[in-house]
Amino acid sequence: MAVEKLFKDEATEEKGERARMASFVGAMAIADLVKTTLGPKGMDKILQSTGRGHSVTVTNDGATILKSLHIDNPAAKVLIEISKVQDDEVGDGTTSVVVLAGELLREAEKLVGSKIHPMTIIAGYRMASDCARRALLDRVKDNKDDAEKFRLDLMRIAMTTLSSKILSQDKEHFAKLAVDAVMRLKGSTNLESIQIIKKAGGSLKDSFLDEGFILDKKIGLGQPKRIENANILVANTAMDTDKVKIYGARVRVDSMAKVAQIEGAEKEKMREKVQKIIGHGINCFVNRQLIYNFPEELFADAGILAIEHADFDGIERLGLVTGGEIASTFDNPESVKLGHCKLIEEIMIGEDKLIHFSGVEMGEACTIVLRGASFHVLDEAERSLHDALCVLSQTVNDSRVLLGGGWPEMVMAKAVDELARKTPGKKSHAIEAFSRALIAIPTTIADNAGLDSAELVAQLRAEHHKEDSNAGIDVITGAVGDMSELGISEAFKVKQAVLLSATEAAEMILRVDEIITCAPRRREDRM
Amino acid sequence: MAVPAPRSGKTESYVDNKRKDDIRMANIKAARAVADAVRTSLGPKGMDKMISTASGEVIITNDGATILNKMDVIQPAAKMLVELSKSQDVVAGDGTTTVVVIAGALLKQCQTLLRSGIHPTVVSDSIYKASLKAVEVLTAMAVPVELSDRESLVKSASTSLNSKVVSQYSSLLAPLAVDSVLSVVDPAKPDLVDLRDVKIVKKLGGTVDDTELVKGLVFDKKVSHAAGGPTRVENAKIAVIQFQISPPKTDIEQSIVVSDYTQMDRILKEERNYILSMIKKIKSTGCNVLLIQKSILRDAVTDLSLHYLAKAKILVIKDVERDDIEFITKTLNCLPIANIEHFRAEKLGYADMVEEASLGDGKIVKITGIKDMGRTTTVLVRGSNQLVLDEAERSLHDALCVVRCLVNKKFLIAGGGAPEIELSRQLGAWSKVLHGMEGYCVKSFAEALEVVPYTLAENAGLNPITIVTELRNRHAQGEINAGINVRKGQITNILEENVVQPLLVSTSAITLATECVRMILKIDDIVTVR
Repeated sequence: MAVEKLFKDEATEEKGERARMASFVGAMAIADLVKTTLGPKGMDKILQSTGRGHSVTVTNDGATILKSLHIDNPAAKVLIEISKVQDDEVGDGTTSVVVLAGELLREAEKLVGSKIHPMTIIAGYRMASDCARRALLDRVKDNKDDAEKFRLDLMRIAMTTLSSKILSQDKEHFAKLAVDAVMRLKGSTNLESIQIIKKAGGSLKDSFLDEGFILDKKIGLGQPKRIENANILVANTAMDTDKVKIYGARVRVDSMAKVAQIEGAEKEKMREKVQKIIGHGINCFVNRQLIYNFPEELFADAGILAIEHADFDGIERLGLVTGGEIASTFDNPESVKLGHCKLIEEIMIGEDKLIHFSGVEMGEACTIVLRGASFHVLDEAERSLHDALCVLSQTVNDSRVLLGGGWPEMVMAKAVDELARKTPGKKSHAIEAFSRALIAIPTTIADNAGLDSAELVAQLRAEHHKEDSNAGIDVITGAVGDMSELGISEAFKVKQAVLLSATEAAEMILRVDEIITCAPRRREDRM
Repeated sequence: MAVPAPRSGKTESYVDNKRKDDIRMANIKAARAVADAVRTSLGPKGMDKMISTASGEVIITNDGATILNKMDVIQPAAKMLVELSKSQDVVAGDGTTTVVVIAGALLKQCQTLLRSGIHPTVVSDSIYKASLKAVEVLTAMAVPVELSDRESLVKSASTSLNSKVVSQYSSLLAPLAVDSVLSVVDPAKPDLVDLRDVKIVKKLGGTVDDTELVKGLVFDKKVSHAAGGPTRVENAKIAVIQFQISPPKTDIEQSIVVSDYTQMDRILKEERNYILSMIKKIKSTGCNVLLIQKSILRDAVTDLSLHYLAKAKILVIKDVERDDIEFITKTLNCLPIANIEHFRAEKLGYADMVEEASLGDGKIVKITGIKDMGRTTTVLVRGSNQLVLDEAERSLHDALCVVRCLVNKKFLIAGGGAPEIELSRQLGAWSKVLHGMEGYCVKSFAEALEVVPYTLAENAGLNPITIVTELRNRHAQGEINAGINVRKGQITNILEENVVQPLLVSTSAITLATECVRMILKIDDIVTVR
């Protein structure tokens, strides 16, 4: 006798074939959804929020699309997860990884259909991915020692990354921005010190890189608008009133004069605090909280530039780049580390006034000011630039470079195919399938560009049969072209991450043979 | 829209393209609908729209940005057109209708191109190239202008004003806009204008004719009348204060314990003394006008303090917003005072005259003859009803922006559809040199631009086809400044008719419209998210 009821009422259980089918279909649907965004001629998606305001985002970034989806299918969630990891790890290739995983599963589905055990498929995939990785390693180029060539590599990578995004028309301009910004970092992958400011108006081409730091705030009234050799105190302290923070504290007096005295005392306290701050020998004071009129005037009298209401992110960055510490008490001037910079001045970008700190202590810091027609454009430009910056900063550390345009996939597919021929047993089917899945990426790129993918991929395969071919798909002319001449490059790290995480994700989903959905927790507002 | 459900069971790598085309077409359709809605308001004979907002407020306007802003569309592609007109408003301030109309026409052409099977990215890249070329052509057509050439500036401002409700006042408003912008240009930075330095004060009553430029400050407020204080002060010494003249209040909660009758009397007396001593201090610096910032924590002034201030013959304007303080202090060339202890003569501003004037049903305060006045101006806009007043303000804003554009980029270009026809002609010729799909797309781009003269003619009740063909003809003969003279209903040299606009308005309309259309073309799916 079977157990009558194992789970709660609403919990469901799917087993064996059904479970596998459900996860295959879910994962493939996700892959199909983002598939059209792949490649330089990929399309964008509108993300329409159902929340308040119905805000609209237009994007080409796989990670952004997937992050915001409502998904119930557990296998689909796995794919979203790997895209997220890819975003965090290397920043680019978020679409590729999902498409590859989807293709691997599509092939696996066929194999399962022809009665090959999932474990055999997994074993085959593992061998194939290992072989593919080695094939890539054989063909990587490393120009670390030659600074000029390395820079060229970086430019190419940046342009390749950007060519699939909204910035593609001005990719050279932005590639230069991104490379300059990353080169300033001198090998650190800390993108914190690259600040991106978005300002509507102007066109994308008006975007520029600026050394130093820009704060989107106003300088207090009557204070100097320009300071050279500034000593900056970054603080997070209440500058409206110093309240006694004891619950229920209240003052009892019996005459008006005494109230006035207390008020005076409060003012005096504030004055003392300001004096203490001034005592640090500063000429610029940045506070996270409000600076009320009274202290503002005191600062103005002392000729100190005071900036109020700098947001949290703003002051942390400012502290970082100017080398100062965020202070909240001012009793020991000697123990507080002040920030320094050569020049503070008010600049105007578009219609807004901003405060510019130049010659900051941390030379790596820089600001990229993005201009664009609308917020949609700006947001998307920021995401694209962020991808490029991530990839570049990774490449600076791991300078191995590959060609792009479907070239790496073809190289891998060729190696994997050879392996399949050498491998005896059922595994070879799986290895062959892996190679087919790899070829799906150039196929998709061609499809998205409206090209004849079957023809192109066949040509490409023939080209790659020769030794050391540099052939890839040139989407612009719609033919097979030499990738090294066209200057299309990709970072090895990105490709490797795509390969490995896609294989792992496919493996994980393949192993599933039962899905148990727990009963949803009841909510009050449910109907 | 529903979440695209996982497509069931389909295993081949076949993508269902039908749906993607549908979405693209739906987007284009929605965006075109928006463009059609504002089309009739283009040009000097364009019509206005009446919008009744959700809150029951009625707005009558001709300004594209305002119409679209209030339309409250939800379709994402339609929303992008609204954004587009907003961007044009930010960049150029004028041409907000034009930009949407051009985008609509471009989309219409794209629809045909897509139907004939051209890949959207090809269309998108080609129209981008065409737009670059268009900007080149426009720049070549433009006439440089000097800021000292006041007449040209006035002309371009009046072109902008001619399409508005207030067009009959354009001879008054245009010079006013020019003067106010020119007076805030900082000689140190001749290419930048901050329009925040021009303050527009609206006051109901009178007619638009009474609109004036005030060299000084205007407050839409009454002077405090308590106890018969002065309403007119000559040789004013003005203080802007950020503290309160009221009984003291500590930040810690306080309570005064009164235990008997005599104590109560004493407290009242103390309060009086406290305020009196403050006012004496103020008086001792010679200050006779006080601007008091609004305070949320406690009363900025009390009846008692107003009474004493009136006795001391000090004119008081209360409830000044904190945001306005910067503008005021910049104009008056003084510093705000945040504490009574800091009340010193050197922080005061000086003006020849501060007076309260009654206008219509309300009163305003004018400060004129300010010593060492900062680079700011105030425009006092009048109108017979709220609707006219609001529209006058918006029109004036557009005119100000036009002048600002000229300060930023000192080039003028002809109006009246002349540049668009010329562009269309030159791009059409260029398209014949190009190869393949590109040439085809550029040609469509050129055709799309004809929508501007076409609509201008249509809105003016002229026969659009006759007008546009004649225009083409004239341009082909080399009259690059031939445009539609809407008033005469015929084609004339539009530069001679003084219909000119800043180059920046035209170029940004073309580049922004192209950018927006390209974005719409690239979208192939709408995904609903949280």
